[in-house]
Amino acid sequence: METSCSKTRNPFTGAEANAVGVKVDGVSKTYAGTEVLSNISFDVLPGEIFVLMGPSGSGKSVLLRQIAGLELPTVGTVRVDGQDPSLEETRDRVRLALVFQAGALFNSLSVYDNLALYPREHRSGTEASIRERVMHALRILSVEDAVSKFPSELSGGMKKRVSIARALVMEPQLLLYDEPTSELDPVMSATISEIIATLKNEYSVTSIVVTHDRSLALTIANRVGILMDGKLITLGTPKELAATKDPALVDFLYPKIDIQNPRFKKLENQKTS
Amino acid sequence: MNTTQQTARVGLFFLLGVALVWVTFETLSDGKIFAERTHTLIAGFDDLKELKNGDDVRQAGVKVGSVQLTRLAGRRAEAVLQIDPKVPIASDAVATIVMSGLIGGNYVAIDMGSNGAPSLPDGAEIRTASTPDLNTLMSEIGGLGKQLQDSLGSFSKAINGDGKAGGGIIQKLDKLVSDNSSRVDATMANLQEITGKINRGEGTLGKLVNDPKLHDELLAAVTDIRSTAAQAKEFVANAEGIMDQVKSGQGPLGTLVYDQKSADDLKASIANIRAVSDKLAKGEGTLGKLINDPGLYNSAQVTIKKVDRTLDGLSDSGPITAVGIVVNALF
Amino acid sequence: MKQINAILEGVGSVVQLLFRSLSYTGSLPRQGARFIEQCYMIGYTTLPIVAILSFFIGTVLALEAGYAMQDFGAKEFIGSLVGLSMARELGPMMTAVLLAGRVGSAITAELASMKVYQEIDALTTMNIPAAKILVLPRLAAVLVMMPVLIVIANIVGWFGGSVVARYVSYVGISPQAYFAALRHYTKFKDVMNGMEKAEVFGFVVVLVCCDIGLNTRGGPREIGAAVTRGVVVSLILILVLDYFVTKILL
Repeated sequence: METSCSKTRNPFTGAEANAVGVKVDGVSKTYAGTEVLSNISFDVLPGEIFVLMGPSGSGKSVLLRQIAGLELPTVGTVRVDGQDPSLEETRDRVRLALVFQAGALFNSLSVYDNLALYPREHRSGTEASIRERVMHALRILSVEDAVSKFPSELSGGMKKRVSIARALVMEPQLLLYDEPTSELDPVMSATISEIIATLKNEYSVTSIVVTHDRSLALTIANRVGILMDGKLITLGTPKELAATKDPALVDFLYPKIDIQNPRFKKLENQKTS
Repeated sequence: MNTTQQTARVGLFFLLGVALVWVTFETLSDGKIFAERTHTLIAGFDDLKELKNGDDVRQAGVKVGSVQLTRLAGRRAEAVLQIDPKVPIASDAVATIVMSGLIGGNYVAIDMGSNGAPSLPDGAEIRTASTPDLNTLMSEIGGLGKQLQDSLGSFSKAINGDGKAGGGIIQKLDKLVSDNSSRVDATMANLQEITGKINRGEGTLGKLVNDPKLHDELLAAVTDIRSTAAQAKEFVANAEGIMDQVKSGQGPLGTLVYDQKSADDLKASIANIRAVSDKLAKGEGTLGKLINDPGLYNSAQVTIKKVDRTLDGLSDSGPITAVGIVVNALF
Repeated sequence: MKQINAILEGVGSVVQLLFRSLSYTGSLPRQGARFIEQCYMIGYTTLPIVAILSFFIGTVLALEAGYAMQDFGAKEFIGSLVGLSMARELGPMMTAVLLAGRVGSAITAELASMKVYQEIDALTTMNIPAAKILVLPRLAAVLVMMPVLIVIANIVGWFGGSVVARYVSYVGISPQAYFAALRHYTKFKDVMNGMEKAEVFGFVVVLVCCDIGLNTRGGPREIGAAVTRGVVVSLILILVLDYFVTKILL
């Protein structure tokens, strides 16, 4: 496991701040009697890239919402930099950004206003400096052409990139990504990987990435956790995972289409008939 | 749409709204946003009745101000009047509270005062007079009705008698006639004698009858006389009835003839009657006064005038209903 | 029991939202653009329908009053009847109902869709409270715009009444007589009374619709359900509040 430096550097201003760690302790989440997460504990070290993997419906996104403080766990605690992320004071002190799977751009605002909302509301800098930051972030994700468009005019991939740009403008200390590379072409996926890695390497931004993109996970992660049915079944470096002999993990990481599976047989029959 | 345009529209819209609120205010409460210079007068009343803040103050029916405030001041009620300073109020002008209709709506009426009187300064107190409101008016009319009823009652008592005091005018007249029937009888006899003489052609009348020139005149006279004779016949019939009664010893005459003692009584009672009628003529006693006393006549007239004025006052405030109420109160 | 619980929860949530929004009042001067935008939505775009409706309410009032009063010669009071009922009751009430239908539904739909598409969550992670930038400007806008709408509704309604009074044969009262009666019995106090009422209605409609929008859970289907709920709850609240506010203001 790599150790990380204790300071984050602001990607725009270069100002330094403490790198932020996350501690998830015995978290369980129940919705209407159904347990979605059960007793999950792990630490994310300051400046680390932590990847959460798992099949659909395994509770990855729910866990991410607990870490972002959008929901409170039924049992257990989440601590970001030692504090409860659902409190306004914590979010005031620790800049935390979440890249939503569907983008969650503000539909009533233009792309520019979407990005400028955070610095404007928190009164960081003049309108000119805000404009500079916004354009910079858009350029990083090569969506500067979309600056005056509205979210409804953007494609899914564009939305995702704008959404990542919006997170960058927030100059986050902790960045949470929910499926950052879904809906993106392989070239753009690679760019995203680079961005995440650059943020970590140069600015020591702590990142938690939820994905089922195996190659992304194994490329950028310092550590990978795998969630199945709400349980954290394994936690380790990409190397450790690649070397695993656990059949369940192997099935998940390297899925094979079994053409002898009765379900495929059935489909074949339907096609021929 | 661009933001400037939107801002402009909202601004315009808001200003329009403010302007309309102001217009509404001006129209509905005669505008006091910019406190205009007003003259304040204080009017003290025993009772402000239904006077409210904002009611009109009118001089000769023209609105000259409004009631700013009503308040209690010690043992009286005060209305603070705001008067247009351009309208001078004479120092001897009198303020009254007037109903502008039967259903609510009072205003303060100020009269013109005398010509040339100095005008009241700001904050001065104006002279006031209380006017009867509907309720006091109604109770007064009720009292008036009772008085009228009482006087009418005593009048009819005087005419018909009330059984205790021994008969009213009618009975007394009746008695008068029956008591003096003997004299009437004598008169009738005389009349008979005269007509007999006429028949026989004696005297002036006899000559008249024989004079053909005077026939027509005589005829008219005879018609008159005939009707008189018919009446006389009636009298005679009465007299005959009375004579029968006298013969059989019934009635006052019977006793008069056959009973010396009662004859004396009769004389005394006739003397009484004479005294009564003398008194009547001189204006003594209730009935006499009723007939002869000019004071009583005057007071009746005053009463009637009062009713008249009351009706006038009422008709000012609502003719139909007021008359209806008066009629109900009277009957 | 479940329903009572739901109502109590709703009340609690609305009250919380109210206090949270009010706690950001200081930020209002910096939210000028959003405030103007909401003023435009709530006031300017609602004006035509408010004017049309008020005009016809005025005409119907005059028509009914004229019909009922012609038998006992009280037609002169049509002006006062239309004047008072528009100013005190129908102006504020109908404007609030229109506001619920037109603005309330739009607010619920917008906030519900923001919630469903995680825009609200995004605001939360940005530490920008929804109460501050979404609810507060709307509340301020409705407070500013409601009196404007009401005064226009009143005047248009009064005018509508005068048109009927003048041109309907069995009413036949001159506009002068109509407005004289109106002025004699309708005081500015009555208009103010109606405005105070309308402020309460408008504020409650916007607040409740915001709350219902922000509490939407689930998928896009829930947006429609939230809009329906917002409008229905608003209408019920308007009518219930009408009684109590009138009683307090009398």
